[in-house]
Amino acid sequence: MSALWSRNGWWVRRLAILPVHLLLFAVVVFFLVKLIPGDPVAVLSGGQRMTPEQYEAARASLGLTGTVFGQLGAFLVNTVTLDLGNSVLTGTSVLAEMGSRLPETVELAVMAMVVSSLVAVGLGFLVVLRPRNLVSRAVASYSRAAGAVPDFCLGVAGIFVFYSVLHWAPAPIGRYDTLLNPPPRTTGFPFLDALFSSDTALMGSMLAHLWLPVGVLVVAYAPMLVKLFIRSLDQAKNAQATKFRIASGASRRMVMVSIARRALPATVAMFGTIFGFMVGGAVVVEQLFAIPGMGEYAVQAVTRSDFVSLRGFLLIVGALSLLVFFLVDVVTMLLDPRRRPGVAVAGG
Amino acid sequence: MTLTVDIPSAPPSRPRRTRRPGVASVTLVPAAIVLLLAVIGPLVVPYSPVDVVDRPDLLPGAAHWFGTDSAGMDVFSRTLAATRNNLLIGLITTVAATAVGILVGLLVGMNESRRGPLGFVARGVSRALDLVQALPAIVIGLVLIAFFGATIPSLTLALSVILFPNQARLVRTEVLRVRGEAYLDAARISGDSETTLIRKHVLPNSSWPALENASLVFGSAIVLTAGLGFLGVGLHPPTPEWGSMIAIGAPGAASGRWWSALFPAVALALTVFAVSGVGRRLFGDD
Repeated sequence: MSALWSRNGWWVRRLAILPVHLLLFAVVVFFLVKLIPGDPVAVLSGGQRMTPEQYEAARASLGLTGTVFGQLGAFLVNTVTLDLGNSVLTGTSVLAEMGSRLPETVELAVMAMVVSSLVAVGLGFLVVLRPRNLVSRAVASYSRAAGAVPDFCLGVAGIFVFYSVLHWAPAPIGRYDTLLNPPPRTTGFPFLDALFSSDTALMGSMLAHLWLPVGVLVVAYAPMLVKLFIRSLDQAKNAQATKFRIASGASRRMVMVSIARRALPATVAMFGTIFGFMVGGAVVVEQLFAIPGMGEYAVQAVTRSDFVSLRGFLLIVGALSLLVFFLVDVVTMLLDPRRRPGVAVAGG
Repeated sequence: MTLTVDIPSAPPSRPRRTRRPGVASVTLVPAAIVLLLAVIGPLVVPYSPVDVVDRPDLLPGAAHWFGTDSAGMDVFSRTLAATRNNLLIGLITTVAATAVGILVGLLVGMNESRRGPLGFVARGVSRALDLVQALPAIVIGLVLIAFFGATIPSLTLALSVILFPNQARLVRTEVLRVRGEAYLDAARISGDSETTLIRKHVLPNSSWPALENASLVFGSAIVLTAGLGFLGVGLHPPTPEWGSMIAIGAPGAASGRWWSALFPAVALALTVFAVSGVGRRLFGDD
């Protein structure tokens, strides 16, 4: 039993802390949204005069009556039972709205993440192994300036060049041609649904609409990934272990594999960060390409001071990020036992 | 802006490159130009940056160097006038986020392993700083803007809240290292109080990661300001601001009128480049 615990305790402990983080986050979100100035009831009524009874009824329906702690308790219970409330203005369920919008954003972010990791790994190896190559130099200096050209600038430039001048991309409106029918809903992720429905016209249209937004995210965020990857590869390359392998006459391929293996935990660890960047980037890019995702929803909620929607949005994005961080932590600990909690490292 | 930063003599984490004075002053030129434009820009604009001055969508030409936007406002005047707004937000945010970050990092780092309520609070704050890191900055920005409103002071406040946790984490890590150094024990033995100790020894030896990161914070602040403006929740038009100018120009770019989005975007990118140049000059970092 104790052997089982000592072998598995690290991830069980990490898993147990996840709900605690989520709960803490929910409390923070509650108070943050509570601090927003302005009277939500006034927003709801649109400035119409209300009798005191109507006013009280509206407050009660928004969960604004009682003490702050009473409200917090009710909010937490609702959140745990996945009841995120209804939008103050449209009255639609926040959870249902999130259900249709979250997959759009996550799909975009994940696609961009996959492409940029492939790009980062390829270019990272190139730069570290052939530092004097012309391409490597260009890549290294672009990645050093990572983040100088923000995603929305690249997006506008991309639309201008590829839609307006070259006509390689369709009009930046939505996920697919407006004349086509939406795919039958099986997974909720539009691209996967189209893939499963074997509707080739829809599939082609989606690919045509997606390559530019995904490309924009990759060009905007891959440099950061490349920079981090080059750094961890460099560290692994200059380590004693590499010298030992070279000195003992290992083949070039084996030395390579050893460098990659030692750089891997640090590489995986940066995925949490890059996922955050991608979701943030997707929020902006959605706005540009008129994709009905989370970003559009949040911007609407902010401009209309719809506090229930805003709260739901924050909770969902926060839960998603915490989940990704959890997965990343577990994978890094799996790859590098020294990172597990409670492990004492000699000299480290 | 003082450009001399005292690098503490504590063992740096990596060897610093020796500075070449000739190259160094060249890297400061772009930043100086941007700063100059921010100061004199609004005074020398040829047209009013907040009014309709001509027909909409005019090509760049002799009368309007950068053309006019879809409302008929002069893009050159607006791009120039926006420098002050964007730079002001960036600068104040950087100073505030770095100062608050250093303070919080010091307090958390010094008290984290303490028993009792103080240690408990410090550990809580430390976890909270990690959690904030999990969220995309632009998402927190959206929410804080809903909460503070969109004016220059409130944007600065919101961006400082977003950007200080990273600075605090950098300082905290360094404090945890410095805390074990022998010179602290030596100072304690010679009778320094805990406050003097923090002020004279811990602060100068542990704040350099945050100062080194400041140029990056500045870049993020400028990009985030423009990002929020682009999403339509930043400074309200017609206040000249690069992000909202790009947003106004975006539909035009889709139909071939590139100028009203291009020039503010170029200004934004050049500013971030100029500032990262300053960062490289000061710290010899890549």
